Amino acid sequence: METLAIFYTLAALVILCSLMVITLRNAVTSAVFLIADLFLLAALYAQMGADFIAGIQVLVYAGAIVVLFLFVIMLLNYTPGHREEQGEGGHLERAFGAGLLALVAGLSVVLACSSKFSLVLPHAFPFADSGDNTYQLGVALFEKYLWPFELSSLLILLAIVASIFIAKKKPPYEGKRQ
Amino acid sequence: MVPVEHYFVLALILFTIGVVGLVVRRHLIFVLMSIELMLNAVNLVFIAASRALGTLDGQIMVFFVITVAACEAAVGLAMVISLYRRYGTIATDFLRTLRG
Amino acid sequence: MGLDQGPWLMPLAISIVKFMVLFVVLLQLPPILIWLERRAPALMQRRRGPNRVGLFKWRLWGLLQTLADAIKLIFKEESVPASAHKLLFQLAPVLGLIPALLVMASIPLGPDLLIAGQRISLNIVRLNIGFLFILAISSIAVYSVTLSGWASNNKFALLGSMRASAQMISYEISLGLSLVPMVLIYGSFDLYDIVNGQVQLWAWGIFLAPLSFVLFLICMFAETNRAPFDLAEGESELVAGFHVEFGSTKFALFYLSEYINMFALSLLCAIFFFGGWQIPFVSHEQLQQLLASQNLASLCGLAVLLIKAAFFMWLYIWVRWTIPRFRYDQLMTLGWKFMLPLGLVNVMVTALVLTTRF
Repeated sequence: METLAIFYTLAALVILCSLMVITLRNAVTSAVFLIADLFLLAALYAQMGADFIAGIQVLVYAGAIVVLFLFVIMLLNYTPGHREEQGEGGHLERAFGAGLLALVAGLSVVLACSSKFSLVLPHAFPFADSGDNTYQLGVALFEKYLWPFELSSLLILLAIVASIFIAKKKPPYEGKRQ
Repeated sequence: MVPVEHYFVLALILFTIGVVGLVVRRHLIFVLMSIELMLNAVNLVFIAASRALGTLDGQIMVFFVITVAACEAAVGLAMVISLYRRYGTIATDFLRTLRG
Repeated sequence: MGLDQGPWLMPLAISIVKFMVLFVVLLQLPPILIWLERRAPALMQRRRGPNRVGLFKWRLWGLLQTLADAIKLIFKEESVPASAHKLLFQLAPVLGLIPALLVMASIPLGPDLLIAGQRISLNIVRLNIGFLFILAISSIAVYSVTLSGWASNNKFALLGSMRASAQMISYEISLGLSLVPMVLIYGSFDLYDIVNGQVQLWAWGIFLAPLSFVLFLICMFAETNRAPFDLAEGESELVAGFHVEFGSTKFALFYLSEYINMFALSLLCAIFFFGGWQIPFVSHEQLQQLLASQNLASLCGLAVLLIKAAFFMWLYIWVRWTIPRFRYDQLMTLGWKFMLPLGLVNVMVTALVLTTRF
């Protein structure tokens, strides 16, 4: 019972923070809510016994990726009320966004209320819920998924080189400013 | 024990919020943040499914998704800086050179 | 996690009590350390330092000077700059304190106590991913620095915060890499297992992985933005870095979280490299038999760990008054071109040695 209450609290907060992320004008506050969002998701992962992934989520997502976002926001000296923000999303997009959100909200309420909604999944699967699966995760990562793992390291290397190359390169000509 | 469908519904809502942010916002930073939201929704599905099915494959997928997200953020933000240097703006409305 | 199984109210209550005790103890840290930080350089420079403020006719080596300063600090007026971002300005000091306390919560301070038939571990939560948790949470501490600089809307604060956060995220990688060999050697993320692997003197981390220790020591100073890596503050160039605009209690919070971070890293250094609460040549079981009490032996372990950590706290102050400040490019070169490759080589060599030995 407590687990369910915790889940609903976390879920409500996740939805609230995500809405803040996409609606706030100021990019820095938006990024702060993104951090909160990632933390709450990490808590959800931990609740599901995925401790290691929760740790990685906080370490990589909240600890590194959003810092990068904040750095770029500060480097660009973004201030709310910039010219580009005034043409923010036409009525069409806004209507579409609101409609889509309403549709999904309604759908999820229906799904949550109807007792028929149940996936064909083995519910009572004996899965170690204690969170002591870090060891098994490591074994799987380095045996079954060894090649994807190595490839992902290559991907990171590529990303490092690419991002340095893209960000460092001075524009060869002064592009037309609008 | 929370039924796994609850997590799926939450992920659905989260993903939709990401899509709406992607469509509505004009600022490239917000677009990238919306993509992060969508990736997180996918991660949530992976982990919930991993628990429901009793295998660790889902968690390993999340591991890879986080790797890809880190790369995406690094390259994407580098492109944002480069675009800002070249055009003086990062609003998607003004970046339409390819549209003719 | 384990909420569905068994009663959880009692452990929760014990945890809350433990946390309150820890918090009250940690609150005493800054006054003592600030006093030390004034008296120690005085000792080194052959002057006296603050030694007047005492109680009636007892001077108490000027120990009450910091108390007076603390009272002054708390009673100052809270001011928020007109151009600051109000919410984030208020939030930033708290965002610094929370990770510091969370890290402290997961560090084991000694062997278990046995009170009224209840085993009470000397940490708030025991996590099987303890090491990863500490790394993850300490990576959050960057936000306090970044946001405080940005929210003050002051160019010196912004410069200081950019310097500090770049420095912190650069050295965090080396910090993590320097501890990976320890995880490999002792085969666990759990700090209890790591300490229990160091019963013998020759099994202490510093003997098994000396390079790790050197890297960790350097990262310790860089992570807490302390001299010789205190470019973020650089009072001669940047007035005071990211916390120029903060006064009163908010400033005190920055101080508090800095000292808690220092203490946490000192504890970690003692745990990873100096056997934690293990006393050389005397195992915990022998100590129990000697003292004929488990609790007494555990408290002995706690004292030993605190003494080891106190040495590193002293080292912090010692280094601050010995080594001059680095230049910023030197700092980044050291971090990325020396520490990171050395850390990677260290991990690889340790892994190779471990795999060939078995």
